[in-house]
Amino acid sequence: MITRVRVDELEKITGQLKSIHNELSALMKKAPNDGVNKFKLRYVNMALDRSNSFLGEDYRPFADFQTFDEEELVSNSDASFMIATYLEALEKFRSDNIKQVHGSWFYNLKGDEEVRTAAPAKIKVK
Amino acid sequence: MALIRPRLTEYHGIFLPQAELDFAIPFFEEDIPLYVDPFLLWKSPSYQDKALHNAVLNSFNHLGLLAKKDRTEEAEEQLIIASECEEVGLGLSATRNGLRIGSKQAKDILQLFETVPEYDQRGFTHFEEIQFFVDGISKDRISDFGCTFMKSFLIDFTIDQCEKLGIPLADCTVPHVYDLERRGFVTNQRAKLPINPMRNTPLLLVPRRWLRYSPWINFDEYFSAHCPRDEIVNPDAPPPDRVRVLQYNRENYGVVESYIRAKEKTAADCTNDPLFRQIPVLSARRKLAEIRKLPTGKVGNADKEFENAATQLVASLLYPHLDFADAQSRTDSGVHIRDLVFYNNRSHPFLRDIFDDYGCKQIVMELKNVAELEKGHVDQLNRYMDNEFGKFGVLITRNAMPKPIWRNTIDLWSGQRRCIIALTDEDVAQMVELFESKQRTPLDVLNKKYREFRRSCPS
Repeated sequence: MITRVRVDELEKITGQLKSIHNELSALMKKAPNDGVNKFKLRYVNMALDRSNSFLGEDYRPFADFQTFDEEELVSNSDASFMIATYLEALEKFRSDNIKQVHGSWFYNLKGDEEVRTAAPAKIKVK
Repeated sequence: MALIRPRLTEYHGIFLPQAELDFAIPFFEEDIPLYVDPFLLWKSPSYQDKALHNAVLNSFNHLGLLAKKDRTEEAEEQLIIASECEEVGLGLSATRNGLRIGSKQAKDILQLFETVPEYDQRGFTHFEEIQFFVDGISKDRISDFGCTFMKSFLIDFTIDQCEKLGIPLADCTVPHVYDLERRGFVTNQRAKLPINPMRNTPLLLVPRRWLRYSPWINFDEYFSAHCPRDEIVNPDAPPPDRVRVLQYNRENYGVVESYIRAKEKTAADCTNDPLFRQIPVLSARRKLAEIRKLPTGKVGNADKEFENAATQLVASLLYPHLDFADAQSRTDSGVHIRDLVFYNNRSHPFLRDIFDDYGCKQIVMELKNVAELEKGHVDQLNRYMDNEFGKFGVLITRNAMPKPIWRNTIDLWSGQRRCIIALTDEDVAQMVELFESKQRTPLDVLNKKYREFRRSCPS
């Protein structure tokens, strides 16, 4: 079971990480070794920090990674890789908290409230 | 061991990069290869600079007045004194010993006030013009004339900058200072100035904004592009020599004047030159490609080519965080070694860390064009890391350290708290990438390597 507040939080974090990942992937294709500047890194870290709190110990992708050190050089490919693992972890969390009703997917909310969502990513939609 | 290519600031424990200071940091053992260009004062928007230019010009024109009043000897003496300003240390002299002009040259300059009617009537508007009429007047002489006539200002500027930075001042005697009120030189003026400890002589600081490699009004440019050539009437005549051009100028002032007007019109393009110029991004990419193509070892002088390319590239990549001091050659156990030495300006948290933790006042980077680093290479650098270099060193090499050598560097840290890190072709490539994209600084790659090293060290 998941609360409505948690659903909103999940969708917000996922949206942020997806847009960061898209941006970094584009940069990675151009110059994988180039560094992520401090401005971007600050916001990447903010999104990662929020994801860590949300996912908790059970869902966090790596126990020994929290956020990037802003003083350290982080390449586009490193940052992109790490964001991708977080997106996977968030998807795992989402998949564990949704249910299928009459062919449609909904969050597994308490009470009668219904919030529709997409099918789990691992299920291919034909 | 003392500092390599010592500078005033590092000598007194002030670790600031040149880019952050208003003056050119003087070296103790050699001159700064730049010159004061009076034109930069003339075109400056600052009223102070314009006023100084006027003061210099008035002092110079006063010499013409003296010559007119039959006080030629006095004018000659002043001109000779003004022709060298040792305290500023600008030019190409490796020994910082400059020579004054001779009596004949002084007479030639003073004669211009008689032979060129325009100078006789209104004096000079740019005293650099003397290069066009008198043989042997070069850019360093122009710079020295300017500095000597405004030495009083330079003394005040030096005291002000030194007090701001905490550079110690000592009582000393300045042999000649021009006095604007008396229109003459005061000898043996007492002043509080920084001292060159190698020669025990006073030093004067010069604002960076006045410095150029060559003056804007420049005889060589005039000679090659503006001086009229007799190509139509006598196409087979030999090219004019310098002395004949000087003679021609004396008789045809209008040509010089039109050149000066043209230079005044393009004054907006006249800017000061930096003490260090980074290579452009395109050149950095080319240098990297050159390095990557080179084989390891000494085949076909590959080691020399690697050293030359890496020197230019790394010095540019690390600027302005690290001021390049020197590329020095030394021999250790019969092996020729080439190092790059940088002043540690502590302008970045990483640089502050290595200063505090390893006592690194200058950073030494040894160039090694080898396929695989060996223990001997690490030992060579380790033996050299002492005193001013502290206990921190970098090996610039082609490939990553083999595991046993890596472990050896970790052991060095564990046992003696000495840090040796290696920059490989891959790291230099990443530095070039950052140099181009400007997303982070290339110094961050060195910082990353250091952090990787420290993470591997036992806590």
